[in-house]
Formats: sequence, structure tokens, C-alpha cells
Amino acid sequence: MEQSAFVQVVSKATMANHPAFASIELTYQCNLACRFCYNPVQRRGQVRSHPVPEPGAPPLTFEEIVAILDQLKAMNVLFLTLTGGEPLVHPRFWDIAAAAKVRGFALRIFTNGALIDEAVADRLAELRPFCLEISIHGATPETAEALNQVKGSHVRVMRALELLKERELLVFLKCVVTKLVENELEGIVAIADRFGYSIFFDPHLYTSTDGEAYPLDLKASDEALYRLFSAKGLNIGNSPFEGTPEINCSVASGSLHIDPMGNVHPCVQWDESVGNVRNATLQEIWEGASRLVEIREMNRRLPQLLQESCGDASFCNFCPAASRRELGSPTTMTEQHLRVARIRRAAHEDAGDPA
Amino acid sequence: MFEDGKYKRNPDVSWRTIEGQAVLIHNRNSEVIVVNEVGTLIWEQFDEGLESILRNIQDTFEVSRADAESDAREFLEQLISAGALLPR
Repeated sequence: MEQSAFVQVVSKATMANHPAFASIELTYQCNLACRFCYNPVQRRGQVRSHPVPEPGAPPLTFEEIVAILDQLKAMNVLFLTLTGGEPLVHPRFWDIAAAAKVRGFALRIFTNGALIDEAVADRLAELRPFCLEISIHGATPETAEALNQVKGSHVRVMRALELLKERELLVFLKCVVTKLVENELEGIVAIADRFGYSIFFDPHLYTSTDGEAYPLDLKASDEALYRLFSAKGLNIGNSPFEGTPEINCSVASGSLHIDPMGNVHPCVQWDESVGNVRNATLQEIWEGASRLVEIREMNRRLPQLLQESCGDASFCNFCPAASRRELGSPTTMTEQHLRVARIRRAAHEDAGDPA
Repeated sequence: MFEDGKYKRNPDVSWRTIEGQAVLIHNRNSEVIVVNEVGTLIWEQFDEGLESILRNIQDTFEVSRADAESDAREFLEQLISAGALLPR
């Protein structure tokens, strides 16, 4: 990959508010029940202080999703992520994915992998997405299934990795570092190495998009995060795509997100809707929503604001959407941001690495 | 060697022109190719044929026909090697 030229052109687009990335949550339904899932649905065992809000509208139809694809293509979006929930459980997943391919998107499919058997792997090989990004919740069935609460899922995911490897599909693995998995990080790296896949470790947990804090109960220990940040050569973050150096992240500038009901969001974690595709075109929303303009301006000021408020800020992969949900302020570091930044800085300094 | 009319864009290559530069994503080998301005013109206008492309390069970049052809052929060969162009 011509990484630097690619990052440069994407950065230029982001700075010009031309989104090269978009994501669609096809459904909140899922075959697993991950305890930290941030979707606004009740998974098994999640303790909410309020009932899950009603969706307020029916899910997008296949025809509406195809219309969205046409609009995203007209907006020159290149990378399209199909996510969920579990996108593969959507009854029209294959039709949607094929429609996206015909429109020239580089497809990213976020999946838990547990539904990928031989037949599904064959269809994926035929579809040829740019990549699959698969969550790994443990190096052992006990750990993975303590998180996703479905017996037998770990073995199926391991088999899926094998099937995808045989078909030479590009796979990125992603592991959210929770207290459940914190002692198995080496084992997870070994799984990634076995298949030759890159793995990304995300030290952040996100409150649910309906504002519930239960995911934070799974936070990893300080010691585990220190080990994570001290380990050499690990990818920290939740995406194989590098950010835009000039601004904090691509929220509202380089990417946009559409939920299963057609609500448009500045990113997948920003729960506030800035419009709905049933009332306006994506282009109209992207160019006309005053809230997006405010978020863009805030995001451009963020690196300086954060640096002024906390000397460790550059170590934490700050997420303004997470802060907005937890604290009501997208420019204030959460306790989790501060903790991650402090530990990561200490690990870097102890290793004698430059900031 | 590139021969006009005998190649087509690979349908497994996703692409968009972003900020004036074509970005090509090869979905079989995951290669990402970011193309310069001249290459972007060639890629975008590929279906119009080499003659038309060369005229447009000359008009847009004020270069001689010989230079335009030499650069275009070199770039087209690179696209064939990268699998972005396939025989028809």
C-alpha cells in the first residue's frame, strides 16, 4: 500500500470536508451478545438504568439502502463499511453488498466471524470486499464466550479465519482490551500471527449509544494497559486506516455514518442525528446541517484544546463522541481517556520512546 | 505491451478521484495506488481510447505529443503490471 500518498490524499479530502469513508449499520440484530456492545438494544445480561429507546421508525428497506449507495457514490465516497449488529444477519446482506460492489466502493465488512462457514466464505470470496474486520474477544473459548455469551462461537470464528485465509481475503483482527481478555493478549497476537493477519488492540470501551455505562464495567486493569503499551510492535487503535494528522479524527469531515433507521450521524459513535435520509438527501444533510459545521469546527480546534487541558492528551486516541456521551462535552477528556493517556505516556517514557 | 482497445479496467478495482487524484484499490491483492494528475486523466478517460487521451494530455499539460505518449504508455504498462487493467 502506498501508505503515505494514500494518507495525504485522504487527509486533503478530510480537510476539505469531502468524505472518503462512510458506514452503514445494516441492523442492530446480532448472533452474539457481547457484554460491551454499544448498540441501543438490550443484549443478554446488560444492566441498563433506562429501557432501550424505541427505534422511532422502521428499518431501512433494501430499496432505501440502494438509494443511499447511489448518493454515497455521487458524493465520491470510496470506502464503505457495512456493519451492525452483525451485518451478515441482514436478510438482504448479499444483495446490498453486491449493489455496493457494482457502484465501485471498496467494501469493509465489520463482522464477528461466527457465521462464516464454508458456504459464506465462498460467497465472500466471490464478492471480494476490500477487507473484513473481525472482532477477537479472547484467545480461548472460555474468555471469548464469557464476553460474547454464545457457546461454540470461538471455534466457529477460528474456523472462519482459516476459511478466509484459504480464500486469500484481506482480514484485519480487532480486540477491545477488557478485563476478561487482558491476560490473553499474547495468545491473541499468536492467533493473528498464525493466520498472518494484522491485529489492532483498542484500549477504549464506549458507553452505549443510548447513554448507558455498563460497558465501562469491563475496563482492563492499569497493569494490563501498561503491558499493552509497553509491548513492541502492537497496533493500538480500532482501525487499519491512519487518521488525518492535522485534526483529531475524521468525524463530520472525512466520514459519515447511517444507522439502521436512516439517521445520519457524524460518525458511528456520535449518537446525535444530523438528519435522516427519508427527509433529505445525504448531500443536502452533509452540506446543510449546521450541527455538522459546528462539529467540524470543534474537531479542528480539538488538538490544541486537549493539549492545553492535559499534557498527556496526545497519548489517548481521544474520541469526542465518547466524551460527549459520557460528560456532555465533546472537548473534555473522560476519566478513561485520562487513564489511558497517563498509562501510555508512562509506558513510552519507561521505554525511552519519543512522544 | 499495451495495445489500444485490447484492455479494460479491472472490475475488481474500486476507485474514485479524490481531490484531483485517482485512488485505485485492488480488491484481490489489497494494493492501493494513488495516481498523479496525468495518470488520473489517463485512468478517468481510459474508455475513450489512447488518441483522445493523448490529445487531452497535450491540451491540459502543454507537453509534446511524443512526451505525452511516452508517459502514457509507461503508466499504462504499470497499470497492467498492477492488475488494474485486464485484457478484454
